[in-house]
Amino acid sequence: MNKKDTILLDHGAGGKVSHAMFSELILPLFDNELLAKQNDGAVFEVPPGRMAFSTDSYTVDPLFFPGGDIGELAVNGTVNDVAMCGAIPLYISVGLIIEEGMQVVDLKRILQSMARAAQKADVRIVTGDTKVVPRGKVDKIFINTSGIGSIPTGVHVSGDGAQPGDKVIVSGTIADHGVTILSEREGLKFDSDVKSDSAPLNHMVKGMLESGYPVHVLRDPTRGGLGTTLNEIAGQSTVGIRLFEDRLPVRGPVRGICELLGFDPLYLANEGKLIAIVPGADADNVLDIIRRDAFGKDAVIIGEVTEQDPGRVVLETFIGGTRIVEMLTGEQLPRIC
Amino acid sequence: MNLTYNQVFKDPEISKALVARIREKNTRPLRLMEVCGTHTMAIFRYGIRSVLPETITLLSGPGCPVCVIAQKDIDAYVMLARRPDVILTTFGDLMKVPGSVSSLAGEKAKGADVRMVYSIFDALAIAKENPDKAVVFCAVGFETTIPTIAGAVLTAQTQGIDNFSIYSANKLTPPALAALMKTAGVEIDGFILPGHVAVITGLDAFYPIFEKYRIPSVVTGFEPMDILNAVLKLVEQNESKIPRLVNAYPRAVADAGNPKARAIMDQVFETADALWRGIGHIPDSGMVLRESFYKFDAAKKFELSMPDTREPAGCDCGRILMGLKRPDQCRLYKKNCTPMHPVGPCMVSSEGACAAFYKYSG
Ligand code: SF4
Repeated sequence: MNKKDTILLDHGAGGKVSHAMFSELILPLFDNELLAKQNDGAVFEVPPGRMAFSTDSYTVDPLFFPGGDIGELAVNGTVNDVAMCGAIPLYISVGLIIEEGMQVVDLKRILQSMARAAQKADVRIVTGDTKVVPRGKVDKIFINTSGIGSIPTGVHVSGDGAQPGDKVIVSGTIADHGVTILSEREGLKFDSDVKSDSAPLNHMVKGMLESGYPVHVLRDPTRGGLGTTLNEIAGQSTVGIRLFEDRLPVRGPVRGICELLGFDPLYLANEGKLIAIVPGADADNVLDIIRRDAFGKDAVIIGEVTEQDPGRVVLETFIGGTRIVEMLTGEQLPRIC
Repeated sequence: MNLTYNQVFKDPEISKALVARIREKNTRPLRLMEVCGTHTMAIFRYGIRSVLPETITLLSGPGCPVCVIAQKDIDAYVMLARRPDVILTTFGDLMKVPGSVSSLAGEKAKGADVRMVYSIFDALAIAKENPDKAVVFCAVGFETTIPTIAGAVLTAQTQGIDNFSIYSANKLTPPALAALMKTAGVEIDGFILPGHVAVITGLDAFYPIFEKYRIPSVVTGFEPMDILNAVLKLVEQNESKIPRLVNAYPRAVADAGNPKARAIMDQVFETADALWRGIGHIPDSGMVLRESFYKFDAAKKFELSMPDTREPAGCDCGRILMGLKRPDQCRLYKKNCTPMHPVGPCMVSSEGACAAFYKYSG
């Protein structure tokens, strides 16, 4: 395929052109023997015990943004979703829905970054599908990924596992991805170095699980942000969660942009952060393990699980006041003055 | 952006000291009104109510431009959005405010060209890029934003961007306070006045009301310390029974305000009667384009003359904005009216009293 080419409807029609795209573009990048067999599906051995299985679709505008692109997001997102089940992600499937007329260079760039992300996360892309739809039917490209992983014996991680006395750890600064996408999308030129935090978290999770310390809840606060995810956990576990505003890690420029536009960093998306809820006595040790991971250097304990206020997230503010952190309702709209 | 500076005004120790002073001095029940939506937001966001003594009640006033917008103005925007020859540009807050039949978000979903902008100058740029379309900006603001809107209209004039126009629902703060004080049943022991409005108007604009009603008034900023400091000053004035008009935001507000910004505003706009949601008509509280700028007036250009419409049944926005009711005392609150399905504008704007109450009080 020529670099200057654009994607045509033929590329998804299943004939010769589709075939060429697969063997010339996709296979060399996602190189592995399971995919190379070109069967209708991937066949592989599974380790004994329980498995985790997750799927997600990615439709981000713009496709390329500071700190990542839709391809990297699609791989990391599913890797992280599987990891948050307390599993070691193994295999990934990729479904591409491409708008007719997309530039081949752009597609290639996305596929390359998917390959790179898979390698970094140590997972293999073993099956997939490509469709091309007429102009205007999708916005350039939509990507679906599904992932499967194995859960080590003895691990029980679930959103309903938080218990009073547990501590809440976040693995690094919040709202980086959300602020990056918003600024790019709205064409806001800020003189700052905000970038997406897209990253695989499975190695971090593996380190925690292998340490033997009990981990009650793992979640990656993506869409809806930390505030929404913690509300879900508080609801599932019927506990209260108390956060301390002065401990929330928000990078300076991100805080600045949020203040300017009236956004609350608690509700902005993260793509490379996790929340771990662990027994209070083990919290410092788990924190150390997280901090040893390349993507966990800024991890901190941001709050605790309480018996009071079941189903609620309460924030202790800078000045010692309290307020409820509600679930995000609808999209945050930039304020008027 | 200097963040360490901002951080200073969130200092927990200083804030705690202020709270202690407030508790020490305050001996009687007080009803204080924060006039502006940005203050409302900050008060909820930092949990300021939760640190104040129970004797102090903070009321949200009529200073959120989206909350006081009349239904008929929303209807006008919807009519403009429906025109195929129009690109309507607006700040995000306005998108979901329901008019009599529809909202801008609803029209956009149906295919209308409604674009969210962060600055009126973005709207001007869109006008330049689309010479074959009429680009209309929904001008909804107080003294803080009106000078910028005036600046954009002047730019459109000098650059000959004739396909640009605005539909003005701009409003002024002091006349609203005067109207409030005249309303029966309104009981307010002090005003927390908006710092960013005063940056433009100066302290002087608030003197006539202060003189007339002798009500303790403090102009302040938007950091937790600013607000606590204002509350303390209002408590002190109430205790000593010596009302004053105080500038507690001298780092930004000069007594005379910003005469340059006011001059631009006056060059382009003149005052007119305006309809405020739930409050009614207030003379000289609106800002409309002067005759020499009529060609930038969308109301004139598209011959829109909107009749007053009835506000949504059961919505208490007006009474809430006058401090006569709390959001949770509206019978639609949380039942029929939520941020997902707002009935009144106070539930739409992030600075609206009902939305802030919903978001932060659970
Ligand atoms: S809760 Fe809704 S209906 Fe009631 S006053 Fe507020 S905005 Fe109006």
